[in-house]
Amino acid sequence: MSIADLLPVTVRFDTASAGLSARACQDQTDGWDAQGQTIHLDLRRGETAAGARAWAALAEPARGLELCTYNMPPDDVLLLAAGAVLRAWSHKPAPRAPLHVVTPFAEPVRAAWPRMAAALAGNLLARELVVQPANLLTPAVFVEQLRRLERHGVAMQVLGPKRLLREGYGALSAVGRAAQSGPYLVTLSLPGEGAPLAFVGKGMCFDTGGISIKPAGGMEAMRADMAGAAACAGAMLAAALRGAGPVVAVLAIAENSTGGDAYRPGDVLRSASGRSIEVVDTDAEGRLALADALHHARGLKPRAMVDVATLTGSIVTALGHHRAGLFGNDDALRDAVLKASRAAHEKLWPMPIGVRHREDLDSDIADIKQCTSGRLQPDACHAAAFLREFAGDVPWAHLDIAGMELAEEDEPLAAKGMPTGFGARLLDALLDSA
Amino acid sequence: MPEISFIKPALPKTGAILLPMTEGAALAGLAAALDEAAGGAVSRALEAAQFKGRKGQSVTIWAPVAGITKCVALGLGKAETLDADAAEQAGGPIWPALSAEASAMVAADVLDAALVARLASGAMLRSWRFDRYRTTMKAEDKPKLGKLAFAAGNAAAARAAFAPLKAVAEGVFITRELVAEPPNVLTPAEMAERCKPLEKLGVGVEILGPKEMKKLGFGALLGVAQGSVNEPRMVVMRWNGSGKKKSQPICFIGKGVTFDTGGISIKPAGGMEDMKWDMAGAGTVIGLMAALAGRRAKCDVVGLVGLVENMPGGNAQRPGDVVTTASGQTVEVINTDAEGRLVLADVIHYAITKHDPKWMVDLATLTGAIIIALGHEHAGLFANNDDLARNIEAAGRATGELCWRMPLGDSYDKQIKSDIADMKNVGGRPGGSITAAQFIQRFVQGRPWAHLDIAGTAWSAKDLPVSAKGATAYGVRLLDRLVADHEEG
Repeated sequence: MSIADLLPVTVRFDTASAGLSARACQDQTDGWDAQGQTIHLDLRRGETAAGARAWAALAEPARGLELCTYNMPPDDVLLLAAGAVLRAWSHKPAPRAPLHVVTPFAEPVRAAWPRMAAALAGNLLARELVVQPANLLTPAVFVEQLRRLERHGVAMQVLGPKRLLREGYGALSAVGRAAQSGPYLVTLSLPGEGAPLAFVGKGMCFDTGGISIKPAGGMEAMRADMAGAAACAGAMLAAALRGAGPVVAVLAIAENSTGGDAYRPGDVLRSASGRSIEVVDTDAEGRLALADALHHARGLKPRAMVDVATLTGSIVTALGHHRAGLFGNDDALRDAVLKASRAAHEKLWPMPIGVRHREDLDSDIADIKQCTSGRLQPDACHAAAFLREFAGDVPWAHLDIAGMELAEEDEPLAAKGMPTGFGARLLDALLDSA
Repeated sequence: MPEISFIKPALPKTGAILLPMTEGAALAGLAAALDEAAGGAVSRALEAAQFKGRKGQSVTIWAPVAGITKCVALGLGKAETLDADAAEQAGGPIWPALSAEASAMVAADVLDAALVARLASGAMLRSWRFDRYRTTMKAEDKPKLGKLAFAAGNAAAARAAFAPLKAVAEGVFITRELVAEPPNVLTPAEMAERCKPLEKLGVGVEILGPKEMKKLGFGALLGVAQGSVNEPRMVVMRWNGSGKKKSQPICFIGKGVTFDTGGISIKPAGGMEDMKWDMAGAGTVIGLMAALAGRRAKCDVVGLVGLVENMPGGNAQRPGDVVTTASGQTVEVINTDAEGRLVLADVIHYAITKHDPKWMVDLATLTGAIIIALGHEHAGLFANNDDLARNIEAAGRATGELCWRMPLGDSYDKQIKSDIADMKNVGGRPGGSITAAQFIQRFVQGRPWAHLDIAGTAWSAKDLPVSAKGATAYGVRLLDRLVADHEEG
């Protein structure tokens, strides 16, 4: 399977027009002429957004789009095409439409495109995983769907529920216990010289909140609570397609359900690291799953770890739907992640882990509390302070992407309510900077 | 508050002695003399208690020699990290260690004069308490220590270095008292009255009432105030320390909601008593002005505070009301509990048009969202100017009053678009502190501006190094340092 087969459109770069009926150019206005639909290419919000908007404006997407770029430099042409490709993705199966890009730099752009296309394929894999509802994408099905990465050269190791319990992954095991499927800890790896970079993803196929059950309103969005793991899987696909490595991804895949066997507030768990954790709120399950996943990743001797998780409502209150929160224990890694964030056009904002945030987690009965109770808690910072304990001395960054996994309103790259694939391109870009 | 003095090193005959010690340091100077007088009892006790001098570590030795009630060894941390700023933080615990004594001396004779002064400043800052409304507390339950002496190698230099620090601490105390005062006592009019004593320090104080503010077109501030029987005030405090006839001042603007019920969008009952300190931004500006004037800061500063009470009276403003601000921009009031930004909008506009500031900083206990974002260790810092933001962050680190930069941007600004007016006063839960800052930014006319959301830092539920639990006066020392580092050179 080639990269082109993984994209929703057939992309061509040429110096000549293909005469498609819909054309987007800077000097066009929105309307119709003798040849067909004309679309204004609005570059004010950047090339990627412009390409995406042009695709979104199509009256008949099935007939494809021609982008006229005149003398736009090759790098910008790539971004423009990338925007159109991302917007062309739909969760509904559709025939592959043409995207024809007219540029005098067709040759250099063609040469550079596979690198971009790999990242886009990664982003779209993340979207495909996130869009599936929780009754279909159970933990077991999620694991099964990851098997498709194997044909791209990604090695996969799966630890199932029994093995996790036997080997002491007490935190992840507790979180996934009440559900009918899972939990799983999946390790994806691509070989290469030296110590790998490790991605760690939260893959909560559905999150009811458990015994600390969530309010009913809005709970349906919790099908996307596996977006962190999906982003890691997408980044692995991108890396595989472009031959990058060494890199590993450790995905904690589970469903946080309620049931007679569910874990409870007050329980003390023994994590894989040996540290004991007091559960305060079963709806703060992501950090428990990640604690074991981070510990597992440490065992793979990575040069750095980056975890990605739809972790807290607190980060949405803090940063809204326009930026994900970036935490970490290492300045150099933080700078590399910020650089990757700019390269991938996925916005982050650095957030603190203060001395008080860790102190707040002191437990009366265990080594650490998983979170605090009461209103007005800086839970995103608390979660990061908690995770830091499990990163040990490995350079580590944590992306709290809650609020970024689904498009809150119609955005250039994704229609309202649709998954964004946030994080996949960023992690892929990080392979070049960290 | 104790009277602090600096004396030549000599062992006292009576009272308590505190030994401030860096990590791994041997007993020297007065400490060694005391140990010798005690026949080695001090060094033996420190060894038995495994005292290493780690920051905050302390050991108490009762009655080491006749006449001396106790000797307290207090750890200052590593000598190489003990700069002036660290000394201030390390000095805080001196007060609780000695406050029950009748007389006490800190044997700081082996430390530099600058460090001694900052130790003393830390102890003084920590000593503040507020007993005005305690009528039955027994004398023995209150601190007895009236005088605290610091023995210094160069007492005169320490004394000189302490003078400006004392002025700043006195500013801090003004802020803490205002913040601690109950809301039935500290109405807007009363708070304005309490600015008047600043005139003695050379600060020009001008008080504006509802009539004047109506003339100025303060529709937003007056809209907040109209639900209370207690009239609003705006106080303008001017300190001309540059000695220049004409100069562009800097402006500090504070939110002073003396009590915030939330208004018609009334708050839940639990914890509402905390809303007495919803005037902490204004309280901080007042204390800051006293600090700057008290130490004769060589620059021109204008402090402006908008003082209102947000009550749900029969005439209170309603969700849905549209008010016209002094700038002419209109605001649809969606939530009457987002009142602070309405007050700031008018005061900031006045500050700009009347005083033409070079740059400005506003302080406000503005949003619960900033607590959910950052907690209680960092205030939220928003700014339209990177240099100003960096300077504020640095001053925060130096004074232990930490802040964390938060983002601004068009995508957040969109959240406060209104269907009927130029903007609405809330932008929803996501990014709630950011949209509040975006609201304020619409009134700063592109001037260099920073906004400190101090809702999480103005009050502390637990003791901190240089403040007991309660009012912290967060911001006074930070902004004093900002001025000292960048406006007086």
